Amino acid sequence: MASSRGGAAQRPNNQSQGKICQFKLVLLGESAVGKSSLVLRFVKGQFHEYQESTIGAAFLTQTVCLEDTTVKFEIWDTAGQERYHSLAPMYYRGAQAAIIVYDITNMDSFGRAKVWVKELQRQASPNIVIALAGNKADLANSRAVECDEAQAYADENGLLFMETSAKTAKNVNEIFLAIAKKLPKNEQVSGAGSTNQGRRLVESEGNTKAAGNCCSK
Amino acid sequence: MSSNQDLIGIIQAKLSSGETASSCHEASLMQGWVRASRILALVEHENEWALFIFISSRMPPEVFTDLAIERVIPVDSDFKCEIDAGEQSGDVYVNISSRKLKLLFEMIPGIKTNNFVSEIMRSMEALMKLRGPPPEFQWLHKYSGSTSNRNSADCDPAPVDAADVDVTKGAKTVAEKMLDIDSPDIVVPRQSIAQGATPIAARESVIRYQMSMKEDDYTFTETLRVFIGTWNVNGLPPNASLSPWLASDMEPPDLYAVGFQELDLSKEAFLFNDTPREEEWRKAVIAGLHPAAKYRQVALVRLVGMMLILLVQEKHEKHVRNVAWETVGTGIMGKMGNKGGVGIRVEIHNTSICFVNSHLAAHVEEFERRNQDYHDICSRLSFSKFVPTKCIKDHDQVYWLGDLNYRITEMEPRIVRDLISHNSLSALLECDQLNRQRQHKNVFDGYREGPITFKPTYKYDPGTDDWDSSEKNRAPAWCDRILWRGDGMEQKEYRSHPILRTSDHKPVSALFESQIRVIDVVKYRKVHEEVMKKLDKLENEFLPQVTVDNTEIIFDIVRFLEPQSQELIIANTGQVPVDFEFIKKLDDSKYCKEWLNIDPAASSIKPGEKCDVKLELFVDKKSASKLNSGEDKLYDILVLHLDGGKDIFITVTGNYERSCFGSSLEALVHISVPVREIPIGKLVELENVREAPGGMEPYPIPKEIWFLVDHLYRHGLKKQNLFLLTGLHSELIAIRNWLDNGSSEPLPGSLYSIAEALLLLLESTAEPIVPFNLHSVCLGAATNYLQCKQIIMQLPEFRRNVFLYLCFFLQELLSHANENGLDAKTLATVFGAIFLRDPPRVSARGRVNPAVMDRKKASFVYHFLVNDLSDYVMSKSLHLSGTS
Repeated sequence: MASSRGGAAQRPNNQSQGKICQFKLVLLGESAVGKSSLVLRFVKGQFHEYQESTIGAAFLTQTVCLEDTTVKFEIWDTAGQERYHSLAPMYYRGAQAAIIVYDITNMDSFGRAKVWVKELQRQASPNIVIALAGNKADLANSRAVECDEAQAYADENGLLFMETSAKTAKNVNEIFLAIAKKLPKNEQVSGAGSTNQGRRLVESEGNTKAAGNCCSK
Repeated sequence: MSSNQDLIGIIQAKLSSGETASSCHEASLMQGWVRASRILALVEHENEWALFIFISSRMPPEVFTDLAIERVIPVDSDFKCEIDAGEQSGDVYVNISSRKLKLLFEMIPGIKTNNFVSEIMRSMEALMKLRGPPPEFQWLHKYSGSTSNRNSADCDPAPVDAADVDVTKGAKTVAEKMLDIDSPDIVVPRQSIAQGATPIAARESVIRYQMSMKEDDYTFTETLRVFIGTWNVNGLPPNASLSPWLASDMEPPDLYAVGFQELDLSKEAFLFNDTPREEEWRKAVIAGLHPAAKYRQVALVRLVGMMLILLVQEKHEKHVRNVAWETVGTGIMGKMGNKGGVGIRVEIHNTSICFVNSHLAAHVEEFERRNQDYHDICSRLSFSKFVPTKCIKDHDQVYWLGDLNYRITEMEPRIVRDLISHNSLSALLECDQLNRQRQHKNVFDGYREGPITFKPTYKYDPGTDDWDSSEKNRAPAWCDRILWRGDGMEQKEYRSHPILRTSDHKPVSALFESQIRVIDVVKYRKVHEEVMKKLDKLENEFLPQVTVDNTEIIFDIVRFLEPQSQELIIANTGQVPVDFEFIKKLDDSKYCKEWLNIDPAASSIKPGEKCDVKLELFVDKKSASKLNSGEDKLYDILVLHLDGGKDIFITVTGNYERSCFGSSLEALVHISVPVREIPIGKLVELENVREAPGGMEPYPIPKEIWFLVDHLYRHGLKKQNLFLLTGLHSELIAIRNWLDNGSSEPLPGSLYSIAEALLLLLESTAEPIVPFNLHSVCLGAATNYLQCKQIIMQLPEFRRNVFLYLCFFLQELLSHANENGLDAKTLATVFGAIFLRDPPRVSARGRVNPAVMDRKKASFVYHFLVNDLSDYVMSKSLHLSGTS
């Protein structure tokens, strides 16, 4: 039967389905906790036992379809090595979301995660949605960080929290989905996010500061 | 503007004579999942317009042979151009569609795009204003073969309905041959991406386009029974139930569109467009609807005597959206509402439908007026609440009903009646003006009408089934007609209802079974998600990718003034061209430290190609002091940014071998051995804690300065142009080594090199001899020797020593001016710049004229070269003949 329609002006009933909100998301955490693996699992559905160390900041995008909106994440997966720490603000400034990753078999990495949380609370956009991911949940046998402890810490600091496994895919989509749901979908935020892609990240500094001002006192 | 003119010229050369390219524009065609560069041109030939789409072998094209015609789209009644303006950011999207072809173009926002789109709109308006048969586009024939267009015969299998007396069908039009429908799911052409086509971005209009191309995957059709009725009621009120007309079918229709003409013939109705008849007939319609279903009125529109009422079954009401109505008068003066049309448009589920009720010009011979009225209604009936406005043709399905007033000509009324009484309708239908005009494509082009099996519906003596018995003795005619246009519409009934005798016309009705597209929400979500996934995958796959051969650039031993370089190879291992750039970190002013030079710091690399980046490390007089004092290290992390993609960190490290160059005067006077013999920690300590180590008595001036000056004093007083000619780099290195390592050999190098080494030594310190905090005071005092003298006397001891020591030496040099040709002004200029080196930020401020500053510095020093300095309190070691 007929397949010709009146051009692209024909829109489905639920128009908001077409609306895309773009958000910048940054992954932070100590070296070798599985930041890149989480992203690889989320974006490509893959897992490499020997994931190369990230030297720089990898960039990928992934879309999550919610009931009424579509959330497009611009994901910056940062290098975890301490010597690159001073470069991290380039990536978390202007970010609307962050996943701070630690390794449940490594207590130090949890400590480092807490330091990241503090840094973000101090330096990042005040409205940033932060999720704490206790990765390598598949290695529960060698667990060093208790789930309850991390959950309590997350609750105290208003973070989303999940134990994840990039290897088994446990909670990987879920944590991104939870972030997508928590992000505000008003025009302003999505507008700001969409301008970041592939741009010089330092330029978004102004936004962050402005946002900080209006919220302080 | 001129470049656009050039482009038009090139395109013009591609065309035949008589064809004029009036406007052109560059655009990106969304081709499946990639966008590719195209050039669009609007071409005119004898008032017919067509949109030409060119592929160019290079952008921009330089000669016409660069261009190949990809497609030619005639601007005909099927041509549509819509701008997707719904997005706040980025580019403009222009939808061009014609029949089953849909193309989406991305254009750069701006005046050029606006102009081009306006030109297209203008050509469409020109088409609307055309009268007579629609353009045939014969001139485009020659282009149909030259392109990649498939023969469209095999992609249009639509069989002619049995019930379909379609006078417009027949030989394929040029337009149909020109259009070639692409599958929306072309395999991503990697090759073309590598050559500069880029994957499409996940923009909202692109997603809408993708979704519209996949509509079949998430919609299903639902059959709607549509009842269309038309009746010219001759100004009379309802006097009988309308159910024989409106409820004549077994099953209740889903939708009613009922049109009336001559609802009210009174002057009041004409002048004030106000009539009680509206409500009377509306009630009569509602009362006459099929009793087996409940209906809701969607819209009612009336212009004088023309009224159209649209009703749907209650259960469909929530699926009816975007309702709009308009009226067009074509009567007296071409404007008044005694003739013309009224329209209602709706969207039901995912299908747009337009209903038009028209009353065209009367009188037997006026068929051309009727044609014109039709064209006027087509061009003037636009639903302006939409942006851009929607016309009748912009709908998936159109129902056109009304008293179209076409008559039976070239036949005596008596014969007409006779034939009717013998039920020989076919002979009459051949003489029907509407059929003839449609055959000539003068009117209702693209519309269909079902076979007429009912008697003419005009003109009767009111209240009877008898033909007009008045003196006018009018011939019977099929004035009242129902036509349609669109896909998935099937007429089940087409009939008149003679039992209704109120008027001199009989009402007519048609029943359709029309396919309405309904979105399956679950499937829609699924397809939408698939589209998004596909876009994600593409976007990630076509992100710029490079590998670098080394992220740790290690320079081994780095010495003052000896440049070293290493290469970094950036290889484009991705599928798209890469623009890379070293970017600065948050608080830095440059993308690398001052001792590093990157060449190139930004460039483009094609897929499969490489770029060698040279990293040159060079410690000179500017950077040496910070490295000596430990304020800086040979350590930097470079951020290599790929435009639209990731960043790569490249660490640069090196081991700096400290030198007396870059050391402070205060440190040097405390060192009695060559600098290289002092442990690094000690050196750094000396730079930061200015204290004499282990009881050593500091020298009055650094021994390195003494070595250099002493050598010049002994051997160079008569040398011409000393301090004016430069030395050799290799000799400077040798002198540096001699000073830093110590040697029993004599000081190497020519006098010029030694003189330059002295200047360099003074220039490499963190601060000049006159500290930065006294800089402006000195310039202010430059004309006054006494003040200058005071400032010098207040200098810290070692600085004062060095200053005066050098001035004594320069005076000595000047005393040999006869031999060496030097003069006080020249030396004052050279040493002014050194003694009073600008603080780091002064030059950047740029408020003071540098030439003025230089003059002041020179005049400051000049005093000390021409005045007797013997009254200065001197320590013994300042005598030039002093021992080391």
